[in-house]
Parts: sequence; structure tokens; C-alpha cells
Amino acid sequence: MRILHLYHDILNLYGDYANVEAIKRLAQANEVSCTVDKISLGEDADFSQYDFIFMGSSTEKNQKVALEDFRRFSDQLKNYVDSGKVALFTGNAFEILGKTIKDNTKVHNGLGLLDFDVVEGDRVSEDIIVKADDLSLPLVGYRNKRGVISSVESPLFEVLYQNSQKDIIKTEGVRYKNLFCTHLIGPVLVKNPHFLLYISELILNKELSDDSLKYNQLSYEVTFNELNKRANLSDDIKS
Amino acid sequence: MNRIKVIFSIIAAKLTHFVGKFVGKGTSKPGQIALKILPDVLNYIKLPKTIIAVTGSNGKSSTVNMIYHLLENNGLSIACNNKGSNQLEGVTTTVLTNATLSGKLKHDVLLIECDERYTKFIFKYIKPTYCVVTNLYRDQLTRNGHAEEVFDVIREHIPSSTHLVLNTDDILVSLLSEKTEKASWYGISAPNTQTRVGNVYNDAVLCPSCKSKMTLEGNDYSCDSCGFHRHDPDCAVTSLSLKDKKITIDGQYDISLMTGSLFSFYNTLAAFTVSKLLNFDSEKTASLLSNYELENGRLTRFCVNNREGTLLIAKHENSTAYNQCFQLVTSSEGSCDVMIVVDQISRKYFTGDTSWLWDIDFNLLCDKNVNQLILAGKYVNDLIVRLSFSDFPQEKISHFEDINSAIESMDNEAQEPVFVITCFSDQMKVLNNPCVKKVK
Ligand SMILES: [Zn+2]
Repeated sequence: MRILHLYHDILNLYGDYANVEAIKRLAQANEVSCTVDKISLGEDADFSQYDFIFMGSSTEKNQKVALEDFRRFSDQLKNYVDSGKVALFTGNAFEILGKTIKDNTKVHNGLGLLDFDVVEGDRVSEDIIVKADDLSLPLVGYRNKRGVISSVESPLFEVLYQNSQKDIIKTEGVRYKNLFCTHLIGPVLVKNPHFLLYISELILNKELSDDSLKYNQLSYEVTFNELNKRANLSDDIKS
Repeated sequence: MNRIKVIFSIIAAKLTHFVGKFVGKGTSKPGQIALKILPDVLNYIKLPKTIIAVTGSNGKSSTVNMIYHLLENNGLSIACNNKGSNQLEGVTTTVLTNATLSGKLKHDVLLIECDERYTKFIFKYIKPTYCVVTNLYRDQLTRNGHAEEVFDVIREHIPSSTHLVLNTDDILVSLLSEKTEKASWYGISAPNTQTRVGNVYNDAVLCPSCKSKMTLEGNDYSCDSCGFHRHDPDCAVTSLSLKDKKITIDGQYDISLMTGSLFSFYNTLAAFTVSKLLNFDSEKTASLLSNYELENGRLTRFCVNNREGTLLIAKHENSTAYNQCFQLVTSSEGSCDVMIVVDQISRKYFTGDTSWLWDIDFNLLCDKNVNQLILAGKYVNDLIVRLSFSDFPQEKISHFEDINSAIESMDNEAQEPVFVITCFSDQMKVLNNPCVKKVK
């Protein structure tokens, strides 16, 4: 397996790099060799050489820097995604794939790969529980962002619970083929081992063992229970 | 009309404060009540000629306490919020309870610790003569947002007349000088000293001013695009020893400290810089700061069974604080055991977010003097997973969800000291264990 980690140094505000480490670790535990290439501003890459592409969260300013640099990869990413390969964008990273981003000074043109607009407003900072049809269990996570996206046709998740009063939404993120876009920040895959397994199996197109994920599983359960003390979700959602 | 309201709010604050002392209520209430009566009450108070403010992510309280100590020993009278809240309400309490009924603060100096984000409100009414900015780190991102955002708040609200006292080794802090006419810089210029601790992330990759790639060389930074660079410090630590807990300032003033961490070195240096600006005698300042014991409880000594223990406060959601605690532990003499407790992430709000664990550089603990690493608390599984991605030898790790079980698991026959690293929110869960006895 070959992984491409984009802008590892400037888009890494919430420990997002851990997602790449987690996939690599799971692959290795299943005796699949894995290499990670990291590229940043001005560096080149051939996307067709990779099985998984990752981009993480950043400050609003660094996101704009990455947006300008990433324009040259626009066609490559489109071809990569259209071919059905897997990519994950956490936090505000995926905002650059939409049509526009409006901040308090100007409107930035996005890459236009996805059909939404972003408006930056007050910071939204919240614990959140979401679920996807393909996954048996809900996901726990955190959102910490200013960007609010306009409605999309194919969201990634349904929102079950959020503990702030801002940007109250029913859906979260975007899914387009095997491009996974979420505003959840940081080590999303570490905290949700079932999602890690799902993504990794999709990349490798085979069943994997989750024996190495015991403590991830316990960590998930503790956090889910803490959030659910506040969310009071019904029992059938948990299983 | 306002005159009456001013007097009324001063009386209300003083009364609430007086009553509060007996019922043990916080220091925000008097200010809160006064602000309800007259929201801009601070505008009507005649403040001292010298106002010193301290803000930043880490080290505010320690720096304020050291500056207080220096002012006091130079014969000045001080009004200070060091015993209370550092938001607008707390500052208002300090000002009003110390003011005369005619609305005058007769002290020589008003010294205030300011929450970074609340500078927005505090500086609206109080224009500091000097403002120390200690550092701007990733700190409680779930509550504060990131450092660039905190920077924007301070930059927007710092009065242009204020003389800034800036940590030149912190690139964001250093950039604040663009806003004001006067600034002094302090920093560590000791040879062979890495001032950025931790290798997990680097927030200095891009120039904070123009977002071009920065040139980083040792502790030096410069931007070829816009010319932004590290200022030579006006006041510098010129040599230091973490192990001996000693620094030399400006090549001639030796200071011995109670803790050997870069944090305490910087805080001491900040206080020293302020004393220079106030024209205090530097010899005297150095001797006043030597072995000055901080009272803010960041370090508690205890005994567990027959073993010597030290509890270090590293704020949760603050990777820099953790990294500096690790540095302090590994620079200590001999070997030791380390316990890390993450049970409740904040005492002020709820969050289950543990992404900040991935910003901490646990490899700093790989030093051979750590015999055993004990992980504990509700989020112990998050710690176990995080540590499994570090280079720390996994066979030296034990873990317990229950904090008491973790403490009781410690080997009573061992001689090595124990360091417990945790946050305010979790410290009492350790100190209240029956085996743990606080020592003076
Ligand atoms: Zn620049």
C-alpha cells in the first residue's frame, strides 16, 4: 500500500497525521507492507501511484496557502477520485474542494470538484456523534471550524448529536465515490476503529483483522458513553 | 448621574467582596455586580500611572507573581488580581475593591493578569503602560481556537501607546510589535539550547506575517519574503542549565530557580525584563528572583508510602506544557517513575476530545531515567494507543482506568522518586488518595 500525505507540515492542527499512522499500523498488523510519502508546498507527486490520499486540518490562513498551491493538482485529484480510489480529508481541508470560500476579507475560488460553497463565520467547537449507512456503529468526534458549507447532495454522515448551539445540522461532510470529506478534526480513524477498518478494507479490497485495535475500541466506547450521557441516544443506534 | 452610579458600583463591589470572603465565593462576583450597575465603570476610575499587564498561553500567573515580588521589594504598593479571575470581571473586582469611594486607585502600580481572549474587553478600559506577552501556543483549542486566532484578538485590542514586552523566541508573539510604537524583546540566546521543545509539529513553518516559507536555523527564524525575523533580545538568558536549574541573564546576573524548565526560565526572564524597564537595580532583581518559590501550586511535593513524589501541572489540551514537564522529569538526577493522569479533560467544560494527545512528544520520555510509565484515568485507552505510536518502550508501561489502583500499584520497595503529570482538573484525584501525603 502506498499513502500520499498532502501538506503534512502546514495542515496538521489537531494531530490529523495520526490517521495516516493508524492506517499504516493496521496494514502492517495484517502483513501488508505500507509506505507513506509526504509532500508539501511546491513539491510534486504522481497521484496515480497511490492507494490512499490524506489531507488534514489547519488554521484558516494555512488552508488558503494550501488551496493556492493545490490548484496544480486539481486534474490529478479528479482523475484519482473518479477512478474510485480512496481519499480522506479531515477538518477544514475538504473546503478547498468546493466552489468558493468566503472569509471576512474576500471570496476565494475553490477547486470546484465538489458542489458546495463555504462561508466562514463564528467558530463552531463541539463534540459530535454521527453515523453512516455503511457503518454498523456511530462515530464520535470533534468539530472545530469556522467554515459552514452549503447543502450537499451526498453527505458523508447523518448527525445524531452535537453539543454546541452553532451550525445546527442534520448532515455532516461530503462523500463522492470513495472520497471521504468530514469536518471532524484530528485522529478520526484512531478514535473510530470501525471506520479505520472500513477505510482500510476499501483501500486494500480485502478483509482485515482488527485484533490490533483493542484499545482503540475501548477508547471509542468510553468516549461514546461520555457523549451519550448527554445525547441519550436510543439503544438500537448503539448496536 | 454616572458619578452616583460609580460610587454605588464601588460600594456594591466592596460589599460583595467583603461578604464573599466569609462565604468563600469567587472573585468574579463583585466585578460582575458592578458591571451590571455600570458596564463602563472602569472608565470612571482614576488608575495609577504605571499599569502592567501580562498575557499569553502559558506562564501568566508565575510571571505576575514574580513581577509582584519585585515591585513589592522595591517599595511600591500594588493592586493585583493574582488571587482571582483574569477575565474582565476579576480585573474589575481588583480595581474597585482597591479603589477609594471617590473612584481613585491610590496604589503605585496596577498589575493585571489577562486571559488572552479577554484582552478584548479588558484593554477597552485599561490601557497598560507595559504589556508582557509570554507565548502563544496551541492551548485548549476546543475553547480558545488556534493561536493565530488568539493573536488576532490581542493585536486588534492592544493599545498603540502600550510598551510591549515580547518573547522574541515565539514567532507569533514577536509579530505583535507591528502594532505598537514601543517594544522590548526578551529571549534565550544560550548556546546549544533548543527553545522549541517537541518534534511532533511545527507551527513556525510559514511566516506568520506573509505566509511564505520561513528560514529556521536553530532558534533563529527569518522570512526572505517580507523581512520578518527574530529580534535580538534586549534582555537575554546567555547561559543556562536545566539540570542545575540555573540561568545567567545578560552575561552577568546569575539566578538559581526552584524548577529547571524552559517555562520557568522564560517567566523569570520576563519579570527581569520588566524590572529593567522600571529601572530597578539588576543585582537586586537577580537576588530577589533567586530561589523564589512560586505559590501558584504548579508543583506539589508529596510522599507516597515511602517514596518521594512530585505532582506537576501540565494543562490538558496543551502539548507544550506536557513537553516541558517531560523535559523537567528527564533532566532530573537519577531514575524515576512517571504517572500520567487524564481523567477529566477540563474542569470548566465538557469535552471528550483527545486529539491534543497526538501533539505531545512522548519520545521526550524515552530517556533512560524513566523506569516505569503508569497511565491512568478515564481516557487511559487513548493514552495507551497514543503511547503505542511513540518510541517509548512498551514493556515499561502499565495502565489503570482507576486512579487509586494506579497509585496503589506502585512498588513500595523502590527508592526512585515518582513524578505525576496531570492537570488542575485531575490533581486532587491523586492528592486525595490515602497513600499520598502532601509535604511542605
Ligand atoms: Zn514573511
